[in-house]
Amino acid sequence: MINWAEEWSSFYKQFVTLGGYKRLFDGLIATVEIAVFGLAIGIIIGILIAIVAVMPRYKLLPKILDKICKVYVAIFRGTPMVVQLLVGHYLLLPLLGVNVSGVFEAVIIFGLNSGAYVSEIMRSGIQSVDAGQLEAGRALGLSFWSAMGKIVIPQSIKNILPTLGNEFISLIKETSVVSFIAITDLTKALKLIGDATYHYFMPYIMLALIYLVIVLLITWGIKVMERRLARSDRK
Amino acid sequence: MIENNILDVQNEKEVVVKVRGLCKSFDSLQVLKGIDIDVYKGDVVAIIGPSGCGKSTFLRCLNCLEDPTSGNIFFEGEDLADMKVDINVHRQKMGMVFQNFNLFNNLTVLENITLAPVLIAKKNIAKTKRKNFFIKIGNLFRKNKKPLIKIEQTLKEVKENAKQKALDLLAKIGLEEKANVYPSTLSGGQKQRIAIVRAFAMDPKVMLFDEPTSALDPEMVGEVLDLMKELAEGGMTMLVVTHEMGFAKEVANRVIFIDDGVIKEENNPKEFFGNPQDERLKDFLAKVLI
Repeated sequence: MINWAEEWSSFYKQFVTLGGYKRLFDGLIATVEIAVFGLAIGIIIGILIAIVAVMPRYKLLPKILDKICKVYVAIFRGTPMVVQLLVGHYLLLPLLGVNVSGVFEAVIIFGLNSGAYVSEIMRSGIQSVDAGQLEAGRALGLSFWSAMGKIVIPQSIKNILPTLGNEFISLIKETSVVSFIAITDLTKALKLIGDATYHYFMPYIMLALIYLVIVLLITWGIKVMERRLARSDRK
Repeated sequence: MIENNILDVQNEKEVVVKVRGLCKSFDSLQVLKGIDIDVYKGDVVAIIGPSGCGKSTFLRCLNCLEDPTSGNIFFEGEDLADMKVDINVHRQKMGMVFQNFNLFNNLTVLENITLAPVLIAKKNIAKTKRKNFFIKIGNLFRKNKKPLIKIEQTLKEVKENAKQKALDLLAKIGLEEKANVYPSTLSGGQKQRIAIVRAFAMDPKVMLFDEPTSALDPEMVGEVLDLMKELAEGGMTMLVVTHEMGFAKEVANRVIFIDDGVIKEENNPKEFFGNPQDERLKDFLAKVLI
């Protein structure tokens, strides 16, 4: 049986008296940093790949680029996040001989990983816009890029943004595996607090609640965004 | 070199679009098997035929929305089937109206009409400025200074003009109060009339209509056909793929029957409907006309 009083008092001692909350904040910041910058990199990569995916295929260059992108997406969607972190940390970094901070490393790998997913989100968002829209633009004499930029992409954003929010949610949750490469994120921070006393109950309850609150906040943000976009739809 | 004289000597009429041996295949399926036609200025050509015969593909090949597999399309003195031709320039003068209207959903009615003219003018102004910049640099080393290319209209004037023109056209079709609404609030007939105005606002030399009334409620067909009739009476050259035999009879001056990827019969409406020659056409007319 769990001794509530003891669980609570030992947690309180670790968390407040011995300054465990500082650790938690550092972990929280690392988690958010990895997710936010990871998504930012993912969006940039995603845009580039989506552009390649929708480019007209008359010339050789788009064909080659498309093949490269397909391989990239296949690799990063075909392996687990943890494996990518481990391969990056224990194989690629020593091979390249670079020395970077753990968080930076995680941001890069999460960025590369989410780039593969975001590119699919964007590609399907662009392709969900009726092909007639692009055709009508081209028939008026607009270039492919003008028609894309002024007609297709603005319409696809409505489809892309909410899904991008979901990607952000799964990214936040996935960051909990970065302790595999010795980064102290939110999960690791609370695990360490538990490790100090072998009382894990309170730290892990708190851990779950923090993730839940973060995700609920993002979900709410997405809802607000969706409502705004829907409103501009039927002025 | 294939003959490409703009003036047809026999008819003394200007040829706007001249098609020779147009073929189009989708993978192994050959849809168009060699189409030849001269479209003269002011012609209203109704194109009819059974579904799947290639009439829409023919129309879409004319402005290269589908790239022709072989053949030539002469327009404004250039062969559009040639991949090296800047198709965007010629598409500006070849308006197209679609079955599904394809109004830009993210833009208001007014923006729908002015988008292309303004964007294209913007591009041309930027191009001229770029050229002038190089002339200026060249002039530093030249004795005989080269004159700069004059920019006819500033972007602001272009915008003003395009807006005014769009409003005038909207007023003509009685939809000026819809200028600032989004297409999702319009009826099908209104959408299609605005799509026609959008194409017309580019001052096209020829307008292509791809089954413009097929997606409309029956009671809205009339308003769209009336507008097309008005355009025809104004002297616009038009190619119309249609199932409206009434329109073909009344407005068109030439009717074309396409079947199996070739033009099977062409005549003026009176002869075409009154005295059809081709067996397939007789069969077709017997089925569509009551």
